[in-house]
Amino acid sequence: MSAALLTAAAAASEEPTVQLTSQTRILAALIAIAFMALILELIRRDSLQERFSVVWFVAGLGMLAGAIFPGLLTAVADLMGVRDTNVALFSIILLLLLGLTLNFSVIMSRQAAQITRLAQERALEKAREQADAAGNDGQTASSRRETPS
Amino acid sequence: MRTLVFIPAWNEADAVAGVIAGVRDHLPDADVLVVDDGSTDATAARAAEAGATVASLPFNQGLGAALQTGYLYAVRGGYDFCAHLDADGQHPPAEVARLLEEVRADRADLVLGSRYREAGGGDQSAETIVGEDYEATLSRRIGISVFRFFLTLATRQRFTDTTSGMRAANRRVMELFSENYSPDFAEIESLQLAVREGLRVEEVPVRMLERVGGASFLTPVRSAFFIFKGMIVLLVGQFRPRTER
Repeated sequence: MSAALLTAAAAASEEPTVQLTSQTRILAALIAIAFMALILELIRRDSLQERFSVVWFVAGLGMLAGAIFPGLLTAVADLMGVRDTNVALFSIILLLLLGLTLNFSVIMSRQAAQITRLAQERALEKAREQADAAGNDGQTASSRRETPS
Repeated sequence: MRTLVFIPAWNEADAVAGVIAGVRDHLPDADVLVVDDGSTDATAARAAEAGATVASLPFNQGLGAALQTGYLYAVRGGYDFCAHLDADGQHPPAEVARLLEEVRADRADLVLGSRYREAGGGDQSAETIVGEDYEATLSRRIGISVFRFFLTLATRQRFTDTTSGMRAANRRVMELFSENYSPDFAEIESLQLAVREGLRVEEVPVRMLERVGGASFLTPVRSAFFIFKGMIVLLVGQFRPRTER
């Protein structure tokens, strides 16, 4: 029984690792180049701010590197203990995207808070103007002016 | 001693003027501010006609942001006490006056009007309030009891009306809420926050009326979602760091 298991394990370890075909590599390289060109174009058209483009450029370069040097990906797959390079690739991409979307949620939350505060400040400013103009007794108006922001 | 009464209002053009008039009747010394939360109807105009100062948010931000705007106005205006009530006519201004008395007497930092707490002893002002008594729908009652349970668990203090939008506060509460107020879960999280910060929070039994205009935004599905969200907010709130003051 144990002998059978051992031979099965040995056979499994001798099984060749699954590599990317050269066809997928060419396709990936082309997509990576097109992707980076798109990023550049978006920046040029002011549709994307530079500070948000960095992470996408890094992603594009990573894609290109993976396509040109397949050894890189195999090494990472070995490190992860994954025999199929494609599975390693998908896992990495999935994790990166997860991190990226979370990052966007954090940015969105911060901006939502900033927008709310901005709206409140504007509303308060207008209200104070109105209160001052309506000339609530002079005392009230002056004490309001004493405490700006 | 200056007092601000503010009224968060979102598309309450029919009811807001009446509420303002009521506040002026019962609290003649208080300044009245209407926080118009991006209304698309004539709420802001009606409020200004009725003699209130109006702070108009440029777009609808939700109740939490509207209430925080009121607290901010109170802090910057140098008010000593503030109170807020709903714009739909559910909250009798006479009851708001009673809440304010509690904070003015320094018996609590934050006072809530509760529909469900039994009145203890002679309740003088309640008799003079004219209107149909408030009756909660089933989904609302379920939600309220769930929140009541979890908020009591989180704060170790008994609350009966966790979503009450009729409150009075002193300077300490104003300063806390003007900086830390959840935009999503205004009523409940603010209570948790206040108790965690060591403020004295108290409930006072009040009468509430059926709304004059508009309809409740709660459907059963929304209620379920609302309850679920509230539980997460409360859970997260337990692990939030205390502010240094």
